[in-house]
Amino acid sequence: MESRNLEYMFYGFLAAWLIVLAYVLSLAMREGRLRREIDRVRRMVEKK
Amino acid sequence: MRSKILLALGAVCAGLLTWDFYRIFDMLPDEANQGAIYRIIYIHVPSAGTAFTFFTIAMLASVLYLATGKFKYDAVSAALIEVGLVFAGIVLVTGSIWARIIWGVWWAWEARLTTMLICWLTYAGYLMLRRAVEEPTQRARLSAVLSIFGFAEVVIVYKANVWWRTLHPGPVLTIRNGGGMAPGMENEIYWNMLAFVCLAVVMVMVRMRQEEIAREIDSLRRMAHSY
Amino acid sequence: MSSELRTAEAGAAVRIEPRARPRTSLLAKIWTITAKDLRSEMRTKEALNASIAFSLVILVLFSFAFDPSSDQFQEFSGGLLWLVFSFAGALVLNRSFARETQNDCLDGLLAAPIPAAALFLGKAFANFALLIAVEVVSIPVFGLFYDVHWAGQFGELALVTLLGTWALTVIGTFFSALTVNLRMRELMLPTLVYPLMIPALMAAMKLTTDLLAGTPINAENVFGLKLLAGFDFIFTLLSLVMIDTVLVG
Repeated sequence: MESRNLEYMFYGFLAAWLIVLAYVLSLAMREGRLRREIDRVRRMVEKK
Repeated sequence: MRSKILLALGAVCAGLLTWDFYRIFDMLPDEANQGAIYRIIYIHVPSAGTAFTFFTIAMLASVLYLATGKFKYDAVSAALIEVGLVFAGIVLVTGSIWARIIWGVWWAWEARLTTMLICWLTYAGYLMLRRAVEEPTQRARLSAVLSIFGFAEVVIVYKANVWWRTLHPGPVLTIRNGGGMAPGMENEIYWNMLAFVCLAVVMVMVRMRQEEIAREIDSLRRMAHSY
Repeated sequence: MSSELRTAEAGAAVRIEPRARPRTSLLAKIWTITAKDLRSEMRTKEALNASIAFSLVILVLFSFAFDPSSDQFQEFSGGLLWLVFSFAGALVLNRSFARETQNDCLDGLLAAPIPAAALFLGKAFANFALLIAVEVVSIPVFGLFYDVHWAGQFGELALVTLLGTWALTVIGTFFSALTVNLRMRELMLPTLVYPLMIPALMAAMKLTTDLLAGTPINAENVFGLKLLAGFDFIFTLLSLVMIDTVLVG
């Protein structure tokens, strides 16, 4: 692999993976939030 | 069962991606005119394929939702559009970086770029609409309608661009009337497409499960308040 | 409520005949809605005045954004004109269904024995008339301010304007119905509507620019006209099919 335009190729791949990573993180955060929420609501229902 | 499928798909995807990237970086030669940067195509084209496939299936799922009223289809189309938007975002960003080197500008108001951007904006509106409606049935109904309108619009924009001037490299894939890529280089696009679709399907499945949990929370809440 | 159902603001009434009498035709129903909307608009002229004033303001503001006397101006005059139409039009379209939320008028309209599609078409025709009124005022002003000879290709310009305005109207009216019950309605409507209008706006802008520059519709730009007509057809059809889902569910 020669070095011509190598830098921007690297940026391209980096950007793509960063977007994927950001989305996966947002998915994980939402997952956590929903799990906590459903536990809370379940307890609320059981108490009644 | 579902988590097993998820894990299996995830493993397949990881394997495929590793193998693909090894070949893309280590085995394929640089392109004669563009140098190393042409490799962006291996992300750019599969992402575009994934995004458009997902938007199409989402439109079909929306029609199914309106026909049957089953929330399953609403969850499918919401998840597909959200993940599709992520990949459409990758298309825009990688394309932009490639254009910086090859065209000398980050952005050109050119047919396909414009189509993709409009497509992105339309579906971003879809996600915003989902947030703006509280009531689940109404949300599903209205967003299904928007998904169908958005799809019709994207098709028209795409068609319109046949007429508009174009800077974008012509179709490189042989399945669409004669390509311009060396055979060894083109195959890798398909392999990466497969890997991306796997990755995207895993995301969609996770997202759909979240949609189900959200609906369960909703009904539990209603139960709690109805006492 | 007996045989008469009161809807719409300012007491503009839609008289619904009792079932025993002969049914009115679909066209008459559509016209009833159009006439009701136009009548209540004409009594206050709120949306019309606001949107004409707004379009004049944008026309003036454009003169600061670029040099109006430059040759380049010819190349984007059509674009400017359609920006004015779509921004000013939004003021009219915004209110189309929103005005019916007061006093539960929308529920009254939906309970009336007219199909949702007729309600939609009636409202769309009224909006179309209002938008055309705004355009009839702003095109001559535009020509006057920027020395554009718009009357040269009058017939073709009128055709493009009618087709383009219907495209704005049909999308705008439909989404006015779709967003009528939402929180943040005023924010949602433009974010959803403008991207959807883009194909029609693109074609209308290109054609209008050509026509204002003195180029008639020819083999090269006739595609724009086809695109516009196709857009109108597809989205009118889609709206008529879907409006029931949106309003009634």
